[in-house]
Amino acid sequence: MADRKNTVTRTFLNGLITENPTFTLMLGMCPTLGVTTAASNGIGMGLATTFVLVCSNLFISLLRKIIPDKVRIPAYIVIIASFVTMVDLFMKAYLPDLSKSLGSYIPLIVVNCIIFARAESFAAKNGPVQSLADGLGMGLGFTASITLLSIVRELFGSGTIFGAQIMPESYQPMDIMNKVPGGFITLGLMMILVNAIKKIIGKRRAARKEALA
Amino acid sequence: MFGKRLFPGGIHPHEGKNGKAVNGLNPIVELPAPKRVVIPMAQHGGAPAKVAVKKGDHVLMGQLIGEAGGFVSAPVHASVSGTVADIVDQLMFNGSECQAVVIENDFHDEWKLLDLPWQSGKPTADELRQVIRDAGIVGMGGATFPTPVKLSIGAGKVFEKLIINGAECEPYLTADHRLMLEHADGIIDAVEIVKEAFKVPEAIIGVEENKPDAIQALREAIGTREGIRVQALPVRYPQGGEKQLIYALTKRVVPAGGLPIDAGCVVLNAGTCFAIHEAVRERKPLVHRVTTVGGLVQKPGNYLVRIGTPVRNLIKASGGTLPETRTIISGGPMMGTAFQDIDIPVTKGCSGILALGREAIDPEESPCIRCGRCMRACPMQLQPQLMDHYIRAEKFDEADRVGVLSCIECGACTFVCPAKRLLTQSFRAGKRIVNIRRRQQKAREDAEKAALAARNAEQQQNGKEA
Amino acid sequence: MQIKNIAITPSPHVRSSVSTRRLMQEVCLALAPAGIASVILFGAPAAVIIAASVITCVLAEYLYQRLMKQKVTVGDWSAVVTGLLLAYNIPAGAPVWIPIVGGIFAIIIVKQLFGGIGSNFMNPALTARAVLFVSWNAIMIKYPQTVFLAKGRVGLDAVSGATPLAELGKVFTGAEGASLSNVSLLDLLLGNCAGVLGETCKIALILGGVYLIVRKVIDWRIPVSMIGTVAVMYLLTSGFNLGLTARELLSGGLMLGAFFMATDYCTSPQTNKGRLIFGAGCGLLLFVIRAYASYPEGCSFAILFMNVCTPLIDRWTAPRYFGEVRKHG
Repeated sequence: MADRKNTVTRTFLNGLITENPTFTLMLGMCPTLGVTTAASNGIGMGLATTFVLVCSNLFISLLRKIIPDKVRIPAYIVIIASFVTMVDLFMKAYLPDLSKSLGSYIPLIVVNCIIFARAESFAAKNGPVQSLADGLGMGLGFTASITLLSIVRELFGSGTIFGAQIMPESYQPMDIMNKVPGGFITLGLMMILVNAIKKIIGKRRAARKEALA
Repeated sequence: MFGKRLFPGGIHPHEGKNGKAVNGLNPIVELPAPKRVVIPMAQHGGAPAKVAVKKGDHVLMGQLIGEAGGFVSAPVHASVSGTVADIVDQLMFNGSECQAVVIENDFHDEWKLLDLPWQSGKPTADELRQVIRDAGIVGMGGATFPTPVKLSIGAGKVFEKLIINGAECEPYLTADHRLMLEHADGIIDAVEIVKEAFKVPEAIIGVEENKPDAIQALREAIGTREGIRVQALPVRYPQGGEKQLIYALTKRVVPAGGLPIDAGCVVLNAGTCFAIHEAVRERKPLVHRVTTVGGLVQKPGNYLVRIGTPVRNLIKASGGTLPETRTIISGGPMMGTAFQDIDIPVTKGCSGILALGREAIDPEESPCIRCGRCMRACPMQLQPQLMDHYIRAEKFDEADRVGVLSCIECGACTFVCPAKRLLTQSFRAGKRIVNIRRRQQKAREDAEKAALAARNAEQQQNGKEA
Repeated sequence: MQIKNIAITPSPHVRSSVSTRRLMQEVCLALAPAGIASVILFGAPAAVIIAASVITCVLAEYLYQRLMKQKVTVGDWSAVVTGLLLAYNIPAGAPVWIPIVGGIFAIIIVKQLFGGIGSNFMNPALTARAVLFVSWNAIMIKYPQTVFLAKGRVGLDAVSGATPLAELGKVFTGAEGASLSNVSLLDLLLGNCAGVLGETCKIALILGGVYLIVRKVIDWRIPVSMIGTVAVMYLLTSGFNLGLTARELLSGGLMLGAFFMATDYCTSPQTNKGRLIFGAGCGLLLFVIRAYASYPEGCSFAILFMNVCTPLIDRWTAPRYFGEVRKHG
């Protein structure tokens, strides 16, 4: 039992950090670049995706033995689309502002590569508990990275974070941050940073192992 | 197509005060034979010669002391008469060692002349090739490829044009220039001998236009002879490269990986021609050559020097090196070899001894700025920057694809590189590795083919038995 | 015996005197007249921007390389060239932090993060200008009047922001009230018109460009094919209106771009054919942006776009090497 718990935790952490969908797998670039101009957008988009990812992973995993191999893609789409519709309607009803600013990116979660990739490469091969953990890990990993990205972009692009003024009044917003090129540049720089940190950690770990051995 | 240039690419290394301008006026001076000569057995491309004398033997000038070690090889002769004092391992310019015969000079200069296989009249192609082989003649421009091998025309190949390289292979060197000026008759004579023996319809002598006196002398020597002409060429390094020279004179392109004969041509150096003349008319094997001593020496000059004379004697005859000297080179500044030990003997391929100053020390490399100068300078129209990139990234298959094996290592790209990258050096290493990989690949394929054939044979056998 | 103090190095043993540093110094020298002209035309603010930009670029390169424990290559002068080019692309009245931000962006993000000199795939100065242009558009298009215009000695519209290009654009589209006579050819040549600080004085730029071509620092192909393409396009579309074409050639950033930006070594093709294609592509894009797009000037974007195409062009136009036997099919 302890073993299983261990693997569940590991699956969760794998999605959150090791195979972070944005910085490592580079999946779902569309919303990553499209909506991350404001921190609230980032967190909203991330959580919506996480919800769909968790639910679709769970259901696909449960149904994985029933779905015939040849029609699995349409079947996945039906499952994913149902949850996306739920999210879309929910947001329209309770978070109309956020829904408006995310626009067509919410319905577009249907074709988000992360969800498809996890369905195809994980949920279709693993049990429901594992898939749930994977969905949650990947979803939160995605949420965390795009929120980080949108915080940086909002800070430089508008001088605010979550709408609160951070930069001094005299700050002239860097408009490129609100445009797609700014997204690319920020994403690239953050990837450099993440990879550099990973490299340092990897080196430390190797050194520690060597010291133990 | 290439403007005034007759071949693509190329450079103009400046020939400042140490260059041709001064040097070309120095007539050939015969350097007195030294007390002892050290004659190496590996002076040519291919297998080294085998020592054919013992310690204590008395040898005559021109006597065979080393037998050719194979088809691609050349015999070696004594350059003085005297006694074999020792057989030693001698350090060569390129840093390798080979066997060498040390002869104590008796200063009698008694000759042992060559036997000519024909009594009178004109030699046939085979007879002439035999004499050239017996005389130990190799390419005198510096590559030292055995001349008889060049003249062995393979089946299906036609020898249509005899090309004489009077372009002086490298800047700073003037040995060929002086030879053409002072021995034009001998050179033209040799051209005619080869031309008639091999029944070649046309012989073209390419001379760079900065040597009008040599062109004049050669034209006078040709006189009314037909089928031989001198063509003036623009001054541009590497005009003396075989493929560049053939293209400039005939507009024929030697296919990559091919030999000049694939374009119907054989290229001989002016110095080689003179050696052929001496062998055929005076029955003398190759025992001396003209070497330029230049650069940072008191008085630069051209010397007729016995093979096996230590470089020290040449430098001494030129008044010694100047204090600024930082490196000494055998050959020219573009493709020559730097060496340290001035007791190394002069060999058949030693076209020049140059003393160079600080400018010859490699400056520090900096990153490639992709300016494309190397591409424009490459006489083979290669893309040096790309080849260098591939070789340094160890992408040897890619380097092979863009033609690294066609690189003639002329150094033009390295000369022009503003980032001072060691391009030629990288290609030298890269070519070696690509060649090894090609051989391995071929061996693998052959092994696979053999295995397949064996399996097929076995199956057939089994089929028959069944 | 061995001679003392003798080095053994592989051949070749002689090198040309052209070095990266010398090439960059030549470019700086060629850029100098335009810089001097800008100080004359726009006064001290131009000098401040040039100084800020150059200092930022050099310092950014030095600090980055020290921080990353790399070899410091400030000595090759390439950062100075980037700094100058960046400054020339900023209007004289801009606040001082504009060249500083631009310089940091150009050197660190565009140049050093991609591997330093020779490895960047876009022109650092131009990329930085594009970022500044998109980010702080209002500042970057606020062109001050030249000292002479301000004194009201010349009849061009003295309101800042009206560049000759805007007027020419109106002439091109046939807008009412627009006339070629509003734009004096002489003023364009001398630089007595609104624009970013280094692009106005065409005489200085042409002088520098010709110097570079004569000194064989740059190849004639890129500037000639770029300017030529723009000329041909304007002649064709304006019904051979020579006056308009000449004024178009002498306005905006065309001369600065064609001679100094498009010819940047590592972001332009190396083959002769490739350089012609590259120049023509820059010219065509510049024309399309000027004539039909919403921006009045497209020089930077045209060159940046062609920068990205450079590896492709180089690949297409790779020469057949001497004696190469290419397999068919």
